[in-house]
Amino acid sequence: MAGTPMLEIKNLGKRFPARAGREPPPWIIQDMSFEVAAGELLTIVGPSGAGKSTLLNIIAQIETASAGEIVFDGEHIASPEQKALHPGLNRRIGYVTQDDNLLPWRTTIDNVLFPLEVQGTLDDAARARAQELIGAVGLAGFERYYPHELSGGMRKRAALIRTLVYDPPMILMDEPFAAVDAQTRTQLQEDLLRLWSLKRKTIIFVTHDITEAIALGDRALVLTQRPARIAAEHPIPIPRPRQVKDIFTMPGFAAIYAGIRADVQ
Amino acid sequence: MSSAEITSELSESHAIPRQWIVTAGRIALAVALLAAWEWGARAFGPLFFAPPLATAQRIVEMAGNGKLLTDTIATLRVSVLGFVIGCACGVSLPFLLRLSPRAAEAIEPFIMASMGIPKYALTPWLILWFGIGDAPKAIVVTLFVFYIVFITVFAGVRGVDQRLINMARIVGASERTIARKVIWISLLPFFFTGLKVALPRAVSAAIVGEFLVAVEGIGFSIERARQLSDTTGVFAGIVVAVTLVLIINAVVNALERRAMRWRPTDRDMQI
Repeated sequence: MAGTPMLEIKNLGKRFPARAGREPPPWIIQDMSFEVAAGELLTIVGPSGAGKSTLLNIIAQIETASAGEIVFDGEHIASPEQKALHPGLNRRIGYVTQDDNLLPWRTTIDNVLFPLEVQGTLDDAARARAQELIGAVGLAGFERYYPHELSGGMRKRAALIRTLVYDPPMILMDEPFAAVDAQTRTQLQEDLLRLWSLKRKTIIFVTHDITEAIALGDRALVLTQRPARIAAEHPIPIPRPRQVKDIFTMPGFAAIYAGIRADVQ
Repeated sequence: MSSAEITSELSESHAIPRQWIVTAGRIALAVALLAAWEWGARAFGPLFFAPPLATAQRIVEMAGNGKLLTDTIATLRVSVLGFVIGCACGVSLPFLLRLSPRAAEAIEPFIMASMGIPKYALTPWLILWFGIGDAPKAIVVTLFVFYIVFITVFAGVRGVDQRLINMARIVGASERTIARKVIWISLLPFFFTGLKVALPRAVSAAIVGEFLVAVEGIGFSIERARQLSDTTGVFAGIVVAVTLVLIINAVVNALERRAMRWRPTDRDMQI
């Protein structure tokens, strides 16, 4: 890997604090190490309950680490102290969570503008950028709708562009498309790849869907069942731009799929 | 005609008779209550049950000689003063306690224990301290309002979706912004529930306070009428108090609808 990595995870460990009078809880993540290069789209595959969300929560700084180190852009950020955490580390780490977490009392446009509003960077140029993103993911015409008036896929798109609108260099994505139907998911994946090709963000994309991991990623990491460790690493040399809906017809797909499948327990 | 137009017409043509049924039902209930009241007056005599018409005449009389206005203003002054202070404390304390979960744990039992103090019983003691002006009554109102608002808002603060708070932190919102733009708005339904319980309590606490010490006010008039065995005067005072509560409640409902326009209408609650 060329140059210094954007993110380094070194011997990361996590377990939740013991309750009085009980056995110490098991490790959820243990001795995990990997690197992410700037501009890379890394996918992480693991079974449900493997600790994937916990891993992203730790990188996003909303969860403490119990052991190990995280270096983001040359800065040590892991801490066992909740108070020492800086969620989103000064807006440089965006996080698209599994639930869309849209504010139910805000319309699509106001949800998308929320990060800019709270950062005090809301001006006409920012509004124009938000409007452009809304158009790019097909939400034009739905700006004044409340989340409960949107479909699941639309809410995912709104959540995605709420993160893109303030342009964090790194984005964590936690199975963002898991809860939508297959066709919508393919569309969302295409949207994501298109947006990513325009602005090469560093993305960590967690999924339990092997096809999704191959369709999106430059590289896929496979996690073990608890405690989560890196079981294997698979480069994905399928050329870009990729057609997500035809990904399984690409040469090499079958071999990569079989390789990952064998490593996922 | 597009299908969307047809749907909206269908729902509208249903909505109008339904609204009409509700209004008709309300009128019927009001008439039934008035009839029961009139029956009570005839059955038990005006000393035990002032007739509705006499009560209405008394209120018109009070309106004519200005007593209605001065009484209402006096009672409102005490209620509003106590209500505003009680609300301000009841809303801000949960936000302060949120900053320190340990302090919250430590303080909570004391707040709950102090709830058990019979507040009206404090009035003579408060008069001893603060004299016979508005202050002792306003303090009693404050206490009533504070506990109701505090408990509902505290439940709201605890019930805020932690995921929304994490989202707001990640996109760079300060804790103050989060309190204002996420927590406060999330707990508005709790807050309005508290308001609706607290407002009638505030008015009745002011009135009961006026029984004990006052020179004007709805409670003062009711108490004086009672001493003169003027049942019509007592009933007139009660009707004025109920009307006051209804008006205040309508204002709160309008505020609530405005603040929560975003909420989906609950199908089961649709008329």
